[in-house]
Amino acid sequence: MAEPALALVQSSPAPAHAQIAFDKVALVLGGKAIIDTISLEVAAGEILCVVGASGCGKTTALRLAAGLYQPTGGAVRFEGEVMRAPRREIAVVFQDYGKALLPWRTAAGNVSLALETIGMPSAQRAARIAELLAKVGLAGHAAKYPTEMSGGMQQRLQIARCLAQDPKVLLMDEPFGALDAMTRQGLQDEMLALVASTGATVVFVTHDLEEAIYLGDRVVGLLPHPGRVGLELTIDLPRPRDQLATREHPEFLRLRRALFDFIKASE
Amino acid sequence: MRWSVIAWRCASFVVAAGVIALWQLAADRRLISPVFLPGPDRAWASLLRGFTSGDLLTKLTGTLTHMAYGWLLASVAGIALGAMIGSSKAMRIYVAPTLELLRPLPVSAIIPVAIAAFGLNQSMALFVIAFGSLWPMLLGTIHGFAAVEPRLYEVARVLHMSRLAVIFKIALPSAAPDILAGMRLSLTVALILAVVCEMLAGLDGLGQWVLLSARAFRSADLFAGVMLLGIIGYITALAMGAAESRLLRWQAARR
Repeated sequence: MAEPALALVQSSPAPAHAQIAFDKVALVLGGKAIIDTISLEVAAGEILCVVGASGCGKTTALRLAAGLYQPTGGAVRFEGEVMRAPRREIAVVFQDYGKALLPWRTAAGNVSLALETIGMPSAQRAARIAELLAKVGLAGHAAKYPTEMSGGMQQRLQIARCLAQDPKVLLMDEPFGALDAMTRQGLQDEMLALVASTGATVVFVTHDLEEAIYLGDRVVGLLPHPGRVGLELTIDLPRPRDQLATREHPEFLRLRRALFDFIKASE
Repeated sequence: MRWSVIAWRCASFVVAAGVIALWQLAADRRLISPVFLPGPDRAWASLLRGFTSGDLLTKLTGTLTHMAYGWLLASVAGIALGAMIGSSKAMRIYVAPTLELLRPLPVSAIIPVAIAAFGLNQSMALFVIAFGSLWPMLLGTIHGFAAVEPRLYEVARVLHMSRLAVIFKIALPSAAPDILAGMRLSLTVALILAVVCEMLAGLDGLGQWVLLSARAFRSADLFAGVMLLGIIGYITALAMGAAESRLLRWQAARR
């Protein structure tokens, strides 16, 4: 463990403008510390990527941000308010799209689930469903069942359902991890365009370091056992990002080296 | 694809016709005394006579009514109880031993208890049929509710779905294949028990018709009744299958 050699970043207390704030958050499950004192804020409209070696609690941190877990120490705040349960302003895109979609509902039906839940009258739903499906490039597939779709299409569908919530925050848990490289790059760009158009805040967990740099305004590296913040990088790459130009940018390569070194040292 | 389906359907009819032909042959050759085995011609004639001039229709509706009421009662109870038990782990742990004790109990052993409690009447039949056909549905529903993908419950939490919405939009559709499989099994059980109860309690129905025909050595009537029971079983199973494939269209997409 070359951990002391790393610059350990301890964030200052949450400023008032933070949309999501982790205030000295700790999580102990079954006597085992999973997350130890993470302090972190995410500003509105920011894209924050979280990386780390397996077992560093990045998915757990995301679930804390979603309100699916409650911290055993400290607090998670959304717009200054302590999170006690999931909220509709915060949508979660799960990695396992195959499990997160309702297999007995068509693409349109799956999007409809979110609209029904927010209480949209059925007369308005059809138009909104068509609009959302078109937004994620599934315009011609409304009547298909998830099992009739490819992995990339299913993940698009899940994103459409999340957008139906009209969220202020999108929490994404390795959403493209199970997809092939080409599909993944396509979806990365689509996601950036969608987020730019909605202005949503994004917390994006990934194990793909290049993906983290490519997407993020900021990348946070977590250290494992127990999970804590080990590195924070601000990504000053021009937007809109480009799969070739951005990835060849000297700054990209510098950040990539820094992130790889960090992960290597933390393992 | 379509042609092979038609070909197989035709082949299955040929087999059925062959069995009837053999039956006719055995009866014509008097391999078995006509007192015990009427030919299909005599059984068919008796069936028609039963409907036109006899009370076979009343018997038929009697059996169908017993079967339907018992089965519906069991469905409602089985799905409601199963949903309750299946959606709570604590409930499953508490109730499972009791269920395991009751489930393998032969329903025929319950009949005397039911007769003692209700007497020889419709209530007794309803209780026995419902009790017997409860199990496949109860166990199917418990399993279906217990096997709901946990991720879907998280999706429901993130969406702030109400408890009722979670049951009707997530748990029930997810458990539907198991529930429908249970309902299909129960349908057969309900028919068997309807006949048994009619025989024992002398209730208006095909069970009673078959028993009385046998006792009076009216073998053609007996076979007409048996044939009718077979047809009921076949048609209800077909209807159930059609309902299943309609409700579970999404599963066909998976294959």
